[in-house]
Amino acid sequence: MIDFIDYLLGGISSGAIIALMALALVLVWRSTRVVNFAQLGQAMFTTYIALTVRELTGSWFLGLIIAMAAGLVVGVIVHFLVIRPVKRLDTSGAIIATFGVLIALEALAAMVWGGDPEAFPPPINNSGYEAFGRIWPFSPYDLLVLASVVFLVLALSVVFTRTNVGLAMRASAFNPEVARLSGVRVNRMLALGWAIAGLVGAVAGVLVAPLSTLSPTSFDIFLVFAFTAAVIGGLDSLVGAVAFGIGTGLVIALVSGYSDSSNAPLVALVLLVLNLLFKPEGVFSHHKARAV
Amino acid sequence: MEALVQRFPGARLGVNAVTALVIWGLLTWVNQVIEPLMSYYLATAAMYATAMFGMTILLGLSGQVSLGNGALMAVGGYIFALTSMNWQTVPILGTPWNAVWSMVFAGFGGVVFGAAIGGIAARLRGPYLAGLTLGIAVGVPAIANRFPELLGGENGLMLQVPYPAGGYTSGDTSDEAVDDGGEVPLDEEPVYEELPDDFGDFDEEFTDEFGDELDSDPGDLSDEDLLTEDDLLSEDDFLSDDDFLTDEDFTTEDGFEAGIDEEIPEEDLLSEDDFLSDDDFLTDEDFTTEDGFEADIDSDAGADLDAGLDGGSEASEGADITDPAADLDLAGVDAGVDAGFAIEQWQASMAIAVACVVGFIALNLVRGRQGRVWQAVRDDPIAAAVSGISPAGSKISAFVVSSLFAALAGAVFAQILTYVGPGAFTLGLSLSLLVGIVLGGRNSFIGAIIGAVILVWLPEFVLDVSADRGWQNQITNNAPNFIYGLLVVLVVLAAPGGIVGGIQSLAGRLRGQAKSSSSP
Amino acid sequence: MLRIDALSVNYGAVEALKNVSLDVPPGRVTAVIGANGAGKSTLMRTLAGLEKPLAGRVLFNDEDITGSKPEDIVRMGIALVPEGRSTIPDLTVEENLKLGGMWRTHAQRATSLTRVYALFPVLGERRHLGADTLSGGERQQLAIGRALMTGPQALLLDEPSLGLAPLIVTQILELVEHMARDSGLAVLLVEQNAATALRVAKTGIVLNLGEIVKSGPAREIAQDEELRHAYLGY
Ligand SMILES: Nc1ncnc2c1ncn2[C@@H]1O[C@H](COP(=O)(O)OP(=O)(O)O)[C@@H](O)[C@H]1O
Ligand SMILES: [Mg+2]
Repeated sequence: MIDFIDYLLGGISSGAIIALMALALVLVWRSTRVVNFAQLGQAMFTTYIALTVRELTGSWFLGLIIAMAAGLVVGVIVHFLVIRPVKRLDTSGAIIATFGVLIALEALAAMVWGGDPEAFPPPINNSGYEAFGRIWPFSPYDLLVLASVVFLVLALSVVFTRTNVGLAMRASAFNPEVARLSGVRVNRMLALGWAIAGLVGAVAGVLVAPLSTLSPTSFDIFLVFAFTAAVIGGLDSLVGAVAFGIGTGLVIALVSGYSDSSNAPLVALVLLVLNLLFKPEGVFSHHKARAV
Repeated sequence: MEALVQRFPGARLGVNAVTALVIWGLLTWVNQVIEPLMSYYLATAAMYATAMFGMTILLGLSGQVSLGNGALMAVGGYIFALTSMNWQTVPILGTPWNAVWSMVFAGFGGVVFGAAIGGIAARLRGPYLAGLTLGIAVGVPAIANRFPELLGGENGLMLQVPYPAGGYTSGDTSDEAVDDGGEVPLDEEPVYEELPDDFGDFDEEFTDEFGDELDSDPGDLSDEDLLTEDDLLSEDDFLSDDDFLTDEDFTTEDGFEAGIDEEIPEEDLLSEDDFLSDDDFLTDEDFTTEDGFEADIDSDAGADLDAGLDGGSEASEGADITDPAADLDLAGVDAGVDAGFAIEQWQASMAIAVACVVGFIALNLVRGRQGRVWQAVRDDPIAAAVSGISPAGSKISAFVVSSLFAALAGAVFAQILTYVGPGAFTLGLSLSLLVGIVLGGRNSFIGAIIGAVILVWLPEFVLDVSADRGWQNQITNNAPNFIYGLLVVLVVLAAPGGIVGGIQSLAGRLRGQAKSSSSP
Repeated sequence: MLRIDALSVNYGAVEALKNVSLDVPPGRVTAVIGANGAGKSTLMRTLAGLEKPLAGRVLFNDEDITGSKPEDIVRMGIALVPEGRSTIPDLTVEENLKLGGMWRTHAQRATSLTRVYALFPVLGERRHLGADTLSGGERQQLAIGRALMTGPQALLLDEPSLGLAPLIVTQILELVEHMARDSGLAVLLVEQNAATALRVAKTGIVLNLGEIVKSGPAREIAQDEELRHAYLGY
């Protein structure tokens, strides 16, 4: 039982990060009906930028902020240079194009920063809290991760539900023609969706890097996790992405704990297959509920 | 031609067979006249083409974006490795074991896995399918870690390629190595360094046989006792037994089968093998080179390719053995060329044969009824369903066929690498296949072939350029993937048909211009 | 106010509109009637900027707006209520309304919202419910309300009667007619249901196979039996 609690505690922060990554995928899907398979490639790239900034200035926080800005910019660039022109052609073209971006970004990162894994130390203590005479697998850094994710998700939900821009973005996602007829500059909203997704992905990247190491391909596995979570959540639903992101993280933590962490990709695969077989439209799909 | 085919239905088969045979003959001839390194490239390109014929059917004809084909290659590769390692004594249908049997099993495994994945995939739309197969590409190689005893875990499995009899075998040259052994101490020293445990075992065995005599150091004994006349016979025996048995056991394949392999991890054995005999060095070199190749998109592995070509001083897994190997470098290559039968040539002829057989099957499928079914479902699934075609069945069959091809390519890949492992079948491999087919042109087998050539050629081209310009390794090793990524985006934007499609539309436009300028 | 000058629109090889010219004056309803496939929706979509014309011009307050983007055209003061109930079921009623006219000042929008709720009280009652909970007639009111939120000078209504009970149609159209008269709004109403449309309209225009075959006072057109038989099928 205490094992179970330990594994769950240990999975919370990675679950929260997977939730952010899934959120980034959902933001892009909602705005352009494209799954951005380059999303975590972009996050990897901006995390390297954060690392560089941090090495130069010594400030983790500055690194995070600049990574977020970079994520925003990269998202917009990818949208305007790749997705907008491709979208007019065909869907398989858009999918392939995002993989092209992924390949190019991973190679570019390896060219700039080298292919070897680099340590990205946590900004604060990452050893577990001590309480009731034992050490729990939950550290101050985990707390920081959790707080950051909660803050970001709350901020996003306020933006989406309480502001005009959020309303315009949602309308553009649901019915671009009606949005345009209402005077919304839909293309800007789509670009904004990519930008916010890039920002969210950048935060996820910077937060997850200390939990392992950073290399050009080290986020590939998170792409699978995030995709799994986003799809189970319905791919359309921000709430679904967050809920199943955390859920996926916890399941992976449990299975890794009871067996071996090399099983994690298989766990994600099994979850994905089960979902696609039994509930392909996802659990929180907006056709069922008006999830935000 | 078309009229002929119309009149004689069997003629289609004949045309396809002739096409495949002509290409096979041509490539086989090419393989005879080129250098071993070029043969190696040829083998790799043929392997990629084999896998990408399946991508043509899956992506081009059936319209499904799949990243799972690298994982399906792993299925084929592992089945080939396991069957060829463990079933060599098992006669099948009354005939002795043959590598072809392993290929058949690999293909069968591909079909089974393809049907399973296809059954799920048939229900999925574009991005869901791409995501699922992405998960497969990342998840399936992890299965190797799940069953380390069977599949070798992270280290993978070394396999002995069943080279043709009388051809290139390590047995022949290990005799040479033993002959030379008296004169060149180089051969022996690494053995003692590398495998002290196993020598311990041998000491024990000999202790059982020869009693206490082994207590003294064999080296001292030999010097001493050669001078002593009366002990000559027994000492002579002892000496030769000791040296030769040891050498043989470690350098020849007999040693492999003689039950030592239980104590020695297989890859160690082969590594020892590699630098004890001259020609095995070639294998070693290949190994590092291919290591770089296989994980095309994996930047780390790219470094290995570079290192391998630069002189193999920083090879990946066998880093500790590369120094002696480097000494043998020239000798090894020379031996290979002198013998007139380099291992690369054998690999290339095998890969070409498989590619041509697969190409023949593919041509028949695509030019026949099945090809029209796939296309109909891709273009308009509802109309196809109305006319009695099952869209799901069509998608599944495309998956099965492409999985079969991928598994066969994986088996070829295993033989080229003489190794299977998670590091060989990465997401990068799947992405390479996607890159190749998109760049070459997803709608034709020519596109697959061109894509395969690009995958092999571009890294070499970049290497040349980089040598001229003096780029850093970091740049050189990753520039090909960077270029691939950009090209994929560009092709999708500007020429979705890839190189072949681009040429076709260009030709079409020229013809159109010619027509319009001549008609008025 | 809104002037259409020799407009032609093609979909590939299909000539949906051929050389169509008409005026939409302020303060009244102008009705375009015609059978299914006559090109009515094409006309409306082109005016709103959703389709690009092959030839011809659209003038709005003497300004050439041909080929402008829909989001710019609506900002100039031309609001389209497209065919089919163009509400977003995933948003609440009030969110659907607030979507219209986001570029306007807070005060302008507040005034418009009050006016829409006054015009369509049922929308005010259900403002916090999802638009998917509304009935067909209520959704049509919501769609018109959203268009009004943009503060238009010209309102384009594409078959508002589609799928609605006749009583509700009459209610809605009479409301629109009052609005036009009271606030000087130019209304272009497209209908297959000619009788109802011509009852509220001042001017009637008959469209057939992309061409205007007749235009004149609505009452005359309503009484022209030949025309009815030939083009309107009743
Ligand atoms: N998107 C389109 N693509 C091709 N043809 C179209 C399209 N929309 C309408 N059409 C054709 O244009 C003509 C006019 O259509 P429409 O304007 O919708 O007529 P109405 O609204 O009067 O029923 C019809 O022949 C229709 O088939
Ligand atoms: Mg219409």
